[in-house]
Amino acid sequence: MANKKQSGFGKWASSRKGQQVIICAAFAIIPLLLLLVFTYIPFGEMVKFSFYKMKYTTPVEKREFVGLANYIDVFTRKDCFGALKLSLYYIVGALVQLVLALFLATLLSFKVKGGNLFKGFIFFPYLISGIAVGFIFKFFFTRGFVFDSILQLCGFSLDNLPYWLKDQSVNNWTLVSTSVWRYLGQMMVLFIGAIMSVDAELYEAAELDGANKFQQFRYIILPSIKTIVTLNVILAITGSLSAFEQPFVITTGANGTGTYFIIMNKIAHTSQKVGLASAMAVVLLLIILICAALQKLFFEYIFKDSSSDDESYKAKKLRKKQERDTKKYVKQMAASAKGGK
Amino acid sequence: MKSKRIACIAMAGLMAASLAGCGSGSDNKDTTEATKATTEAAGSDSADDTTADAEGIKSYADIQLGTDFTDLSAEIKFYNNRTDMDSDDYGGKNWKQYLEDFNKEYPNIKVDVITDTNYADDALTHLQSGNYETVMCIPAVDMADLSTYFMSFGDYDTMSSLVNYSNRWLYQGQVYGVPLAATTQGIVYNKKVFADAGVTDVPKTPEEFIAALKAIKDKNPDCIPLYTNYAAGWTMGAWDDYISITATGDATYKNQKLAHTKDPFKNYGDDTHAYAVYKILYDAVSQGLTEDDYSTTDWESCKGMINNGEIGCMVLGSWAYPQMEAGGPNADDIGYIPFPISVNGKQYASSGADYCYGINVNASDDEKQAALVFVKWMTEKSGYAYNEDSLALVPGSESKISFDGVDFVADEAALEGEEDYLNQLNSESELNVSNGGNDKIQAIIEHAANGDMSFDDIMAEWNQKWSDAQESLGIEVTEK
Repeated sequence: MANKKQSGFGKWASSRKGQQVIICAAFAIIPLLLLLVFTYIPFGEMVKFSFYKMKYTTPVEKREFVGLANYIDVFTRKDCFGALKLSLYYIVGALVQLVLALFLATLLSFKVKGGNLFKGFIFFPYLISGIAVGFIFKFFFTRGFVFDSILQLCGFSLDNLPYWLKDQSVNNWTLVSTSVWRYLGQMMVLFIGAIMSVDAELYEAAELDGANKFQQFRYIILPSIKTIVTLNVILAITGSLSAFEQPFVITTGANGTGTYFIIMNKIAHTSQKVGLASAMAVVLLLIILICAALQKLFFEYIFKDSSSDDESYKAKKLRKKQERDTKKYVKQMAASAKGGK
Repeated sequence: MKSKRIACIAMAGLMAASLAGCGSGSDNKDTTEATKATTEAAGSDSADDTTADAEGIKSYADIQLGTDFTDLSAEIKFYNNRTDMDSDDYGGKNWKQYLEDFNKEYPNIKVDVITDTNYADDALTHLQSGNYETVMCIPAVDMADLSTYFMSFGDYDTMSSLVNYSNRWLYQGQVYGVPLAATTQGIVYNKKVFADAGVTDVPKTPEEFIAALKAIKDKNPDCIPLYTNYAAGWTMGAWDDYISITATGDATYKNQKLAHTKDPFKNYGDDTHAYAVYKILYDAVSQGLTEDDYSTTDWESCKGMINNGEIGCMVLGSWAYPQMEAGGPNADDIGYIPFPISVNGKQYASSGADYCYGINVNASDDEKQAALVFVKWMTEKSGYAYNEDSLALVPGSESKISFDGVDFVADEAALEGEEDYLNQLNSESELNVSNGGNDKIQAIIEHAANGDMSFDDIMAEWNQKWSDAQESLGIEVTEK
């Protein structure tokens, strides 16, 4: 042996277990370091910024500590917290998108003529860059252009149509619809992938039992893909709270379409109030965490049927009831037998 | 096993050594370059104290175009941002045509024109590398570093009599840059549309302007009298450029007074100041004199529309004038007029140099001489400034922008110690005047179109924000 005298550590390091630990650590240290340097340290800095009044260019010693003033501003300023109301539009849009994606995914996962073609068409918008989408839809919704022309062909009169991006009562819905158009395909493909993994024999069995397509969906597909549905809902709601791309590229956030992110971007980059913008970011993070927690509780309630492995919640309930009924029946029988004597 | 390990260690050692070699090598290079730059800076400084002639070079002022140096043989490079002028399809005269004209007089001076779409950033990189072109448009360098990179054209007294706006790159009495063009702030309009509507006199006040817009609308309901370019955003922020010199006639207003003014957006009652500027926009929108659907305006298509007479006018700096001319077949219909505000019966316009020629201080004497000849020829003989719709650069020369009876004034710099006031106020008030505050101007249009907030209320809100910001920053309010 090369090294005869080894210290405690050296011995441990050359042992099988020691080597395992060392290799694990060596492999893990790079991603962990990257994660720390590029995610957690900047995040920590941002939380720190949120307690200061500062610009990007303010030297460290000139930054003014203001305590919770930025957070108070976030909740009292009309434009900051109020912008979250716009997220409601996007949440409604996200739910519509979810239902639509689930519906299309279910249809397309059965045998449909030209199924792959439809999948391609619906997924295509997701491949277009967000900036291009902005340009497309600005022209699409311009007065008298594409969308208005199509509606006119369908018999609408131009005078009865709203200005899709100008009218503040519809322009947020317009933006939401472009968002749905863009992300529907991606969500659908995720669902199709999940549905594919359901064992086909289950459908056959269900059909033999006389289950219709809706029942197949309700009792076979939905419980099987609940993880992916939950994930998509969480992503959709988080995405709605932080909606940015559509309003930014189509309306630049003007005309009452400034979502929370747009306002944050303006405050941080145009007005250079980095502290306030950081506070907004922290508040948004907390809101998203709360939403995620609520969703988890909600889905645990929805899917309690399928949370036990061997029998569904309903089946269990039914079995208990039957057991009770049987006991009752037996008792009654016994009683009547006594009475009969 | 063991030998493999040793090989590994040796390899690692080799790699580390080669890395170290790279590091130290580049370090050395940097330091030598830095020292070179400083010594040269010192050298050129002393040269500046005398004159350019001392180096055996005939100065800009002394060169007689057409007679001096016609047999000089040199090869120089000219680096600039006008990529559009590389193309044969360019609407005006392109670089090739300028160089052909130049070589008729100076056949042995070869000029390589290098253009760059990302000029502002790349030019700085070229400078930092130390290996940059003989003539280039001076990018955003610090005044104090000018003499490190560029040679002086001469002292300001001499140069200012030869070229206007030569104070753009003025440092310690020496002029380091000669402008390619100079721009002003006014309104680009379609002459034919205005003439057809019977507007023959250039409007000088807000009322006259609104009346002119109305006349256009009455004459041709399909024509958009004033196109706002709302959707692009930055085109809205451009309105801020009119509130200082144009609306007050005061060169010190923007950088010295605005920060100290109490309620700068209040109604001064004489159609001047910021109030009058923004009121024009509000009134035009509320009276339906702008486009029907402002939310879908498109910057690229506006050029063709104004060229074809579908738009009456747009509020943009004179840099936009050539683009509107090139937007379609009717270049002659496009014109440029001053902004319709008169201060005590007089109109003002702000003006300033665009990019300026700078000559590489490290070039050889022949190259410097050739560069000087080229710059002087471009400025005085090429017709570049005229073709590109610049203000007159050579005193007394002709320009397409003829603002008769309009005084051109340039903003004065902020007072010492107050350079940051405007920036701080902009940030604190979030109004961002002349600093990307597009959304506040967009809001004027929204409120005017929806009728949900009166103009005076908007201005009162801005005044409030301005005052709050002044208070929280502790900036004295001395101007009324």
